[in-house]
Amino acid sequence: MMHIANELPENSILTADICIVGAGAAGIVIALQLIDAGLEVILLESGQIGPSDQAQALYAGEVTDEHLHSPPHRYRQRRFGGTTTIWGGRCMPFDAIDFAARDYVADSGWPFTLQELLPFYPQANQLCEAGQFAYTVESAFDHPLRPMIDHFECRNFTTNTLERFSCPTDFGARYGKKLRSARNVRVLLDATVTALHLNESGQRVVAASVQSLGGRRFSVQAGQFILATGGLEVARLLLASSDVQRSGLGNAHDVVGRYYMCHIAGTIGAIRIERPLHAVWHGYDISDEGVYCRRRLALRPEVQRAQGIGNFIARLHHPRITDPAHRNAVLSLLFLSRPLIPYEYAKRLHGDERSSLRAWAKHIGNVVTGPFDAMAFAWHMLKDRRLAERKFPSIIIKSKANLYSIDYHAEQQPNPNSRVTLTQHRDPMGVPRINVDWRYTRGDVDTVTRSLALLREEFKQGGAGTLHYDPATVEFEMTRYGAYGGHHIGTARMGTDPRSSVTDADCRVHGIDNLYVAGSATFPTSSQANPTLTIVALALRLAARLKQASARGAGFGTVPT
Amino acid sequence: MSALRVLVLGAQQFVGRRLCATLRATDWASCLGDEPAFDERNATALSDALGACDAIVNAVQGSPAQISSAAQSLYELAGPLAARPRIVHLSSMTVYGSAVGDVDENSALRADLGDYSTAQLAAERRAAAYPNCVVLRPGCEYGPECPDWSVRIARLLIARRLGDLGAAGDGYCNLIYLDDLLGSILSALRRPEIAGQAFNLAMPQPPTWNEYFALFAKALGAVPLRRIEQRRLQLETKVLAPPLRIAEIVARGLRLPGRTPAVLSPSLRRTCEHEIRLDSSKARRLLGMQSMTLETGLARAAQSFTAGG
Ligand SMILES: Cc1cc2nc3c(=O)[nH]c(=O)nc-3n(C[C@H](O)[C@H](O)[C@H](O)COP(=O)(O)OP(=O)(O)OC[C@H]3O[C@@H](n4cnc5c(N)ncnc54)[C@H](O)[C@@H]3O)c2cc1C
Repeated sequence: MMHIANELPENSILTADICIVGAGAAGIVIALQLIDAGLEVILLESGQIGPSDQAQALYAGEVTDEHLHSPPHRYRQRRFGGTTTIWGGRCMPFDAIDFAARDYVADSGWPFTLQELLPFYPQANQLCEAGQFAYTVESAFDHPLRPMIDHFECRNFTTNTLERFSCPTDFGARYGKKLRSARNVRVLLDATVTALHLNESGQRVVAASVQSLGGRRFSVQAGQFILATGGLEVARLLLASSDVQRSGLGNAHDVVGRYYMCHIAGTIGAIRIERPLHAVWHGYDISDEGVYCRRRLALRPEVQRAQGIGNFIARLHHPRITDPAHRNAVLSLLFLSRPLIPYEYAKRLHGDERSSLRAWAKHIGNVVTGPFDAMAFAWHMLKDRRLAERKFPSIIIKSKANLYSIDYHAEQQPNPNSRVTLTQHRDPMGVPRINVDWRYTRGDVDTVTRSLALLREEFKQGGAGTLHYDPATVEFEMTRYGAYGGHHIGTARMGTDPRSSVTDADCRVHGIDNLYVAGSATFPTSSQANPTLTIVALALRLAARLKQASARGAGFGTVPT
Repeated sequence: MSALRVLVLGAQQFVGRRLCATLRATDWASCLGDEPAFDERNATALSDALGACDAIVNAVQGSPAQISSAAQSLYELAGPLAARPRIVHLSSMTVYGSAVGDVDENSALRADLGDYSTAQLAAERRAAAYPNCVVLRPGCEYGPECPDWSVRIARLLIARRLGDLGAAGDGYCNLIYLDDLLGSILSALRRPEIAGQAFNLAMPQPPTWNEYFALFAKALGAVPLRRIEQRRLQLETKVLAPPLRIAEIVARGLRLPGRTPAVLSPSLRRTCEHEIRLDSSKARRLLGMQSMTLETGLARAAQSFTAGG
């Protein structure tokens, strides 16, 4: 069932066994798992089907340093399907090392190992429509693939791991019909949770206050509550729900909102691969299920340990688009189509920097001198991306000169001073807005600096070419566009100790019997991997736990008083 | 002991033809009904055949009109027979209509999916009035040469007109391997104690249609699987299907050599979306129904398709 909250009678009280807040990847997956599970479920979604400026504006807030972090209403979507309505679809699981407590990464370590998530990853992969859970060339393909770089042996990096691409699946569009036809799930759109209320002892959430944009107010009472509002909004709701516990829910030790991580990502350097053109392949391979897969250079775990640095992967990439010196018609066409590309993607493609008239003229010149390449590319983008449901994931330019740059994606280390807090300003529903103070550390700079140095050494030793970059610019380049957008991690981290974590290993908020968090807010560390596949795996795990608990009975669905 | 003489109606059609061959291969049955001169639509011929057999299988497939008229003639003529021979009536899962979720033989018979499902239900009702009848409700028959759910699907997959349908392929694909269907029919002929009962026939834990297409495409070598956009599905079922259907009928009527392109019909599309799962535990229990593994079944279907073209 699906309803619009504004149509409910004022001050209604709805009841359910389970109340899920937020219908993005996490919330939708949990609701799907609870279909026909013998439980009454309410899924509250602040947005509606499709974008709405008014709903999106509820995400607005402040950032401490605009250069380091995009405004909070960017890189997330307040609508049914959440941010999966605009995500890129890159999927890969976390590595075993990401779960380990590493003495060289402060505050690292998950309360469980990779083994705990392995049973859930295959289904997560399916829900993301990324094919089978096979993330090496050998397991995903039953025929040999052309090598990324022919005769290139790597000591410090593996070259056989894959990233697989979701369509990218908009979870709202893909699974909305299933939720609509489920008899035990009620989806309420335009239903913004403004606060969660505890009982007097502070051990159970008794109700959620909910409002529609039209001003309709009602509340939901449920046996269990799950916050699935995305990494920033989880912290906001926990902190803003302060009627019984003044510091907010689960925040007795001032941990909520701290340890905020994104990823460290960037493009750097220039390398000419010393191989024939056909001996370099940096594009996609398509698996039998039709899924786009791409290989990367992944820093081996033993090297991370030996170097005392975080997780890191890199790919061969096209030269920087903004600089017309690449003399590539396709890249210049991309530069010129800047106004047509959504903010979230344009930022890293083009940067915020203003280009001179001279640069514009040179880009036009590049297109004019390579019109057939530009036309072929435009057709490919139209056919394989714009019109396709399974979209060609990114821009791949085969360099005729074998000239590439390095695109990397690195772990950001947990840092208690990188944090999300509430401000004095409130949104139209009276909820305090957030301030994002994203900070990176020396450790993050080290991860990138040393990984790049190892990569340069690797190319040199393997005779594959010389990677040129200025080590002095690494920190500047890795923060050129600020924190990697859209990955909001760590603000309600899992752990065994309430003094340094917000939720336990089951994603239940410490000290509150019936409040759970779903999403990347619970990740204690960030890995090199994009978060959504792991968000979905954790959501499946949480749903399985809830079903087990309800099977055991014990007042599971009882609405607390 | 003399052989059980089984009259197969619909013996010129795919399942009937296979059933005749299977019956003949047993040491306990013989088969009537597939002689070229026999026309089951002729009341006199049918009446004579009914008088000369010990059991009947109604395996008539086809249009709603064909199903209705075959059932009407059969049960009108069989009703007065004193010997009350066993009739195994092949119905279809479409009698459950738009029901969703797990469906067993006690579930409501909605037959609300158009003329075909209504005709199947009407035929079942006639069958139920006959005292020694067993009704079988198979899902989708697949296996070597099965026209609808193997050959047609293979042709569409190879042409990349079918593939990963996204939400439109989330329905359950209640497959039944042809040999398992035939085995169940044989079993239903020989168990007097199940008179008057109905049985769902499908594999346990069926895949979704998307999974079926992915596995079958792989077995056929028709990979990478293509994602079929909603837009394209609309085009296939709304724009291309009607003329292709006409072309198919014309080609058949004129006995033209070669094949017209396979049709991706609106009903196929609806089936792929339909989240109904046949519970066949009763057939496994009482008929001893076997279930071929999907992997082997698909490998055989693909091998036969590739060999036969
Ligand atoms: C441009 C871009 C590209 C990306 N690419 C990738 C990628 O390639 N790979 C990858 O793994 N990840 C990617 N991501 C990240 C990915 O989108 C997120 O990880 C994922 O959407 C998070 O899912 P979620 O359910 O936790 O949160 P969301 O999807 O953000 O959903 C949260 C939901 O909660 C609702 N909500 C919020 N507050 C309230 C409230 N108070 N009451 C009720 N409802 C509320 C919101 O409206 C929203 O629907 C990308 C993100 C962006 C922006």
